[in-house]
Amino acid sequence: MSDSADDSERPFVRAAAALRGAPADHSAEIFALQQRIRAESQTHALGVVELSTRRPLARHPWWLGIAAAVVAFAIGIGVGRGSDRTARAGNSAANGQNDRAIAFAFVAPGAHNVSLVGDFNGWDAHATPLERADGRTTWSVAVRLPPGRHVYAFVIDGVTWMADPQGPLAPEQWFGQRNSVIVIPEDRRS
Amino acid sequence: MTDEDLVGRAVVGDSDAYATLVERYYGSCARIARRMLRDDADAQDVVQSTFLRAQRALAQFDRGRVFRVWLFAILVNQCRTASTSRRRRERRFSDDDMALRSAADGRPAGAIDESHVVAAAVDSLEPLLREAFVLKYVEELEYSEMAVITGAGVSALKMRVKRACEALRPKLEAIYHE
Repeated sequence: MSDSADDSERPFVRAAAALRGAPADHSAEIFALQQRIRAESQTHALGVVELSTRRPLARHPWWLGIAAAVVAFAIGIGVGRGSDRTARAGNSAANGQNDRAIAFAFVAPGAHNVSLVGDFNGWDAHATPLERADGRTTWSVAVRLPPGRHVYAFVIDGVTWMADPQGPLAPEQWFGQRNSVIVIPEDRRS
Repeated sequence: MTDEDLVGRAVVGDSDAYATLVERYYGSCARIARRMLRDDADAQDVVQSTFLRAQRALAQFDRGRVFRVWLFAILVNQCRTASTSRRRRERRFSDDDMALRSAADGRPAGAIDESHVVAAAVDSLEPLLREAFVLKYVEELEYSEMAVITGAGVSALKMRVKRACEALRPKLEAIYHE
């Protein structure tokens, strides 16, 4: 309280301190509430799993070729042909022939903009913006990445940096921040 | 991590971030609800529903606002709604309440600690005065923040706090023998 506690206020300040007193133990109520909150969030997240191709790609790399092709088809592009909507994000040393089209999706109900950052685009928050995939809460973007390990994260509204809640975390920390990791295998057909 | 950081994460679905906010503000919310409703069980229900409502409304949260003030505004509205709905069944607390509580506790009145006596004194205030006193003195909010939370003007709130203090002063002076 900014007002100074003069003599006339002393009993009220003392009474308030008594009411704040020894903090009550709400740990059981807090725990139950947190469990409920997490459960409701899980229910919400389940509705977007199928929209997010990142999850199966990250956890089951052998799905990569099929899933990437499906993604490429769904957005009307061909892998390796170049596209206005699918930017190649690999480094210039690669020729791009082995690049794979990967769709990244992120659910952000209250966001105004979401972008993808990673070692493949120089961690530039302006380089790879996501678009609202369903016109509402799910944001997505497709990028072409070369085989290998890529570390990435999402940036929400230009300020909030978040790892992919659906994907594995990279073990390394940058300024205390954990990012997500995706491993793209070499295409055995090539 | 600041409230702003946690809200930023919670807004986009990070339930762990919101759980941290719950832990951070549960105690304050429980204290406000307990004083406004004068019933532990009702207060607990209201606090739980407040956090769940706030979570669902996070998408509409204006990042320019202070989360704590926004949360308390929801809480106060929930308390008022709960208070109105139970008014018919509510048993009026009287000055004898302290004695009744001590009887229930099996302790003589003299053995009741300071917080119980002070709580009974604050509970005897009219609802709007009690609300203003708790927000100002117990939660140490600024009048501008209280105005956002309660929907009342700053002048009206200052008057409520003044009246609350006038009503409390003789009781507190008796407690503290000042």
